[in-house]
Formats: sequence, structure tokens, C-alpha cells
Amino acid sequence: MKLRRVGILLFRELVQGPKSFIFIFAVVVPLALTLAVTLIFGTLFSEKPRLGIVDAGSSQFTESATATDAFTVHAYASETDLRDATARGSVHIGVVLPPDFDARVAVGEATTMVVYVWGESQLRDRAALAAAISGWVRHIAGQESPVRIVTSVLGDPVVLPWEERLLPFVVMMGVILGGMMIPASSLVTEKQEQTLTALAITPVTMGEVFVAKGLVGVIISTLMGMIILALNRALGDGTVLLAGILLLGAIFSAEAGVLMGILIKDINALFATVKVIGLLLYAPALIYMFLEIPQWIARIFPTYYMIQPVIEVSQHGAQLSDVMGQLIVLLALIAVLGGVLALSERRQRNAG
Amino acid sequence: MTQTAIAAENLTYAYGKLLAVDDISFDVAEGEILGFLGPNGAGKSTTVKMLTGQLRPQWGYARLLGIDVASQPKKVQAQIGVCFEINNLYETMSGIENLVLFAKLFGVKDFDAPALIKRVGLDGRGEDKVERYSKGMKQRLMVARAFVNQPKILFLDEPTEGLDPTSAQAIRTLILEEQARGATVFLTTHDMYEADRLCRRVAFIDQGKIVALDTPRELKQQYGQRIIRAEVVAADGSLQTREIVLDRQETPGEIAALFEGERVVTLHTEEATLEDIFIQITGRGLVS
Repeated sequence: MKLRRVGILLFRELVQGPKSFIFIFAVVVPLALTLAVTLIFGTLFSEKPRLGIVDAGSSQFTESATATDAFTVHAYASETDLRDATARGSVHIGVVLPPDFDARVAVGEATTMVVYVWGESQLRDRAALAAAISGWVRHIAGQESPVRIVTSVLGDPVVLPWEERLLPFVVMMGVILGGMMIPASSLVTEKQEQTLTALAITPVTMGEVFVAKGLVGVIISTLMGMIILALNRALGDGTVLLAGILLLGAIFSAEAGVLMGILIKDINALFATVKVIGLLLYAPALIYMFLEIPQWIARIFPTYYMIQPVIEVSQHGAQLSDVMGQLIVLLALIAVLGGVLALSERRQRNAG
Repeated sequence: MTQTAIAAENLTYAYGKLLAVDDISFDVAEGEILGFLGPNGAGKSTTVKMLTGQLRPQWGYARLLGIDVASQPKKVQAQIGVCFEINNLYETMSGIENLVLFAKLFGVKDFDAPALIKRVGLDGRGEDKVERYSKGMKQRLMVARAFVNQPKILFLDEPTEGLDPTSAQAIRTLILEEQARGATVFLTTHDMYEADRLCRRVAFIDQGKIVALDTPRELKQQYGQRIIRAEVVAADGSLQTREIVLDRQETPGEIAALFEGERVVTLHTEEATLEDIFIQITGRGLVS
């Protein structure tokens, strides 16, 4: 395999690709859907208020904050890190606790808590965090609230808001449409128009053609995933991790797309196939939408391992170690599809 | 000493139970133009696919420039140019972009696309998208694409099919120019006139077998008969046609009798065409 030839083919795909209907479809539809849902719901991503803490003295404040489900809490090593994170919107409010914070509060001595507020955060988030901060400080001071608040949750307490339920679907659409449909349709079109035959009688190998087409899918798919996350302000501290996960998902999608392109003869058959397998591809997202369905069923579908780590990192602040198991499954799926593709290429070479 | 550019030995290929190419063998010398003639379904395309590395022979082998095609197809393909019968250009790209893409894939350095565009008579249209080209222009571009790597062997599949006489003649001129450069040409065609004019030798393929392979002149001498066709004024004043077969013992006497007995208005000699010979050998026409 010559990288120079892959580069030439990749360049042609990137220049000519945007002229194809499917290329435009793969880019426009997920973006349009994201923007539409964003207009309706504000943002697709969890709007749990995000609190950043720099705690030099293992304060009870941090314990109380992390113990609650109401907020997403991120710890930072230094005040500079916290300032940067707040400035870019990774947290709505950032709090700096001095080393002797608990001791001073407990004895009633004056102390200072530096608080940074992200300018674009919503008032409801600031208010919720401010009230919580006040409560946690009072707890450290040993003061009981003069008012006992009795809370009753009305409505179905386990129901997720629709904007959160739609998230996996929109992200998957961006990743799958770009990653799978672009290479598949490009290969099928070249077969139909017999340009693939013209390429086959040059020094170019089919392996090089498959890699170039797959790379287009990987690039577009990863970009689309990142854009959708960015539009929903889900890129924070986990940006690099999210990019890596999306890249793996894009590789998986692109491999599946190239395989479809090899197996399917014409564009009508491709669309018919996508209609049939679409339900399987999007099954994890559909299951996530309807909580009545047991959620473990989603794990049966390969695309679960592509989307779940994205949700875990962007929604729940998970780290690499938290999603490692899912990523290992995804890597295994990539290896299996890669093996199938290599076999297909070899088979074509032997026939030709 | 003339080298062999194409050597095919016992080439055989079947699609399921249908034997498309049945144990054919032939050689093509360097710099030769070989016409490969046969009706649709005779096995021409399958033979070309095996020679160009698109299909692996189920039996026998093909060597191009001494290289086994089945085991080293890419090495062979780097040195050949193929012009397909069916248009398979990138329609959304311009003529020049098509040529440059293939030149890059072949690793051609200092490729002069405008010069090649001009050479095939598309001067001034090189920047236009191929989708705006006429059929003849597309065919010229296909021929040009087959030339980008200055191939040692050219495979041309019906390069003038359906073209107007001017475009067809332009392509025939290009083929002769390539031969003059030293290229070997494997020309698949239905056009007997074209084969007769361009090819040093022609091979007739029918039902997967080569049924004749020789120079057009030899084939005509071996299978065809020459005749004299005369228009004469008959006794009742009407114009009638008389035919006298040449190269026989009786011929001189028949000619003398013709001139003595009737008033000859026109007189032509005619020789058998390759089509006539193909029909004579196979019992069916080339365009069936």
C-alpha cells in the first residue's frame, strides 16, 4: 500500500465529495436536527449545573458537593486551571477553598472563598449552585437550618427530559451518516459508473481505494460528532477524550460503510439495505429514548459501544478509566471488521 | 529481433457452466496492432479482462512484456493503457482533472495534460466538466486517459463505436501515432474497415475460440474470392450486372466473352471483406 496514492484518492474524494447528494445529506441532516432540537429544548446535553472546586485542604464542602446528584462536580488542581475552565464554560461556577477553610468556618473566624462565575451561565444554574454552596458552608459551621423543607417530587421521577433522550440519536446520526453512508455510497457509485474498473487497471490497489474512502468517512464523521457536541456545549475538560472516542466510532462506522460498499451493487440496493439495518444501527439510541424498555438490551447492539462512552463522558463527566470497558469492546469490533475487510480485499485480488 | 509483447497460452474462463473463453493461445509482437474481432458474447471482453489482470484465468496464462499477469497484475497494469468501450470517466471532474488524476496514480512526472488534451482534439474544452462533453469528446478523452502513462501496450475496446466519421478518423490517427511511438495495440472492434486499415494481423474469435488468426491479406487470399462486377446493356436495352470470379482457369475466357458479347458500361474488381470471411468461417455475422 502506497500512502501517496491513498493521499491522491483521498484528496479527490474530499474535493469531489461535497458535490454528491449523500455527502450533503450526511452533513446537513445531523446539523439541522441538532439546531432544531437546540431551538426547542435549548441544548441536548444535561443541564445539571456544573461546579468546579479547588480544594487545598480536603474540605467537607467538597464531600458534600460530590455526594449530591443535583450537580456535576469537577475538581481542579490549581486556581489557574479553575479560572480557565470557568472562562471556557466547562463549569458554571468555580470555587476556591483555602487550606484552613473548614477549621476557620467551624470556629466562626472570617475566611474568604473565591468564586468564579461563567458569564454565559444561566441564572437558574447560578442560583441553584449559590443556594447549595450556602447550605454546605452552614453545615461545616454546624448551623442547622431554621426551616425544614419537605420536598415532594411530582410526576414520574425516573423520566429523563426529552432533550437528554434525543442526544444519543443525534450524535449517532452525525457519526453513522458520515462514517458509513459516505464511503458506502461513494464505492457503490464508482461501481455503478464503472470508474472503479478504470482505477483497478492502474497501479492502485483496491486496498488503497478502500482506505481512501474509509478515511473520508472517518474525517467527516469525527468532525460531525465534534460539531454536534460543540453546538451543545458538551466539549469541556473531556474534549480530547471525546475526540478520541468519536474517532474510534468513526473508524467503526467507516469500516462498516466500506464493507457495505463492497457487498452492495447499486445505490437503490444501498438505500434499501440502510432502511432495513437502520433500526439495528440506531437501536441503542431508540432504547435510550424509551425508558420502559430494559436498558441492558442496548448492549446487544455494536453501535452501543460507540455512543455510550460519548454519553458517559459528555453527560456524566466520566474519565477514560470509566469507559475503558466499552472502548475495549469497540476496539475489538473495529479489529473484527478490519479483518473482514482485509479478507474481502484479498478475495477481490485473487479473483482479479 | 522482435520481442513478444503479449503471450496468451491456453487461456480459459467460464462463468458457471458458460465457457466464455475456451483454451485460446496467441502472441502479439512488440509494436504490432492486433485486431480482435468477434460478435457480442464471443469472448472478446473476457479475454481482455484476463490480459489486463481484471480476471484471473481459470486455466492457462497470459504474459505481458514477459510478466505473468495473474501473479503480478499491478506490475503489468503500470505499463499498459486501457480504453474501455463504456464511458467510465469521472463526469463531475473536468477533462484535465481526469487526466491529471490518472497521471498521478501512475506516478507520471511532469505530465502535460493540456498537450494531451490538444493532441486528442479537445483543445479549449479541457477545463469543462466531462458531463458537458458529447459522446465523441468523451471517447477521445478515454483514449487520452489510456495514453497518460505512455503505455507499452494499449488495449482499445471499440474505440470508435458510434462515433461520427471525423471523430473516428481522429482516433484511428492517434492509434497509428501510438504504434509509431513503439506501443503494441490490442484492438477489439466490430469495424472491419477499421481492422483492415489498422491491423497487421486480425484474430477472429467465436464462441470462445480463435477460429482464424492472420494478416487481413492472407485471410482474404485463403478464404475470400475476388470477382469482377460489370454493368452491361442487355439486348432489350436494360442495365444488367454480370459477375466473374477471378483466379480460375476459366476466368480469361469469361472476360473475353463478356466484352465480345455485351456492351460493358462499368467494370469493377471486388475482393472479400473481413466480414465476408468471418461469415464464411463461422456461418454468422460479426454484429449478431
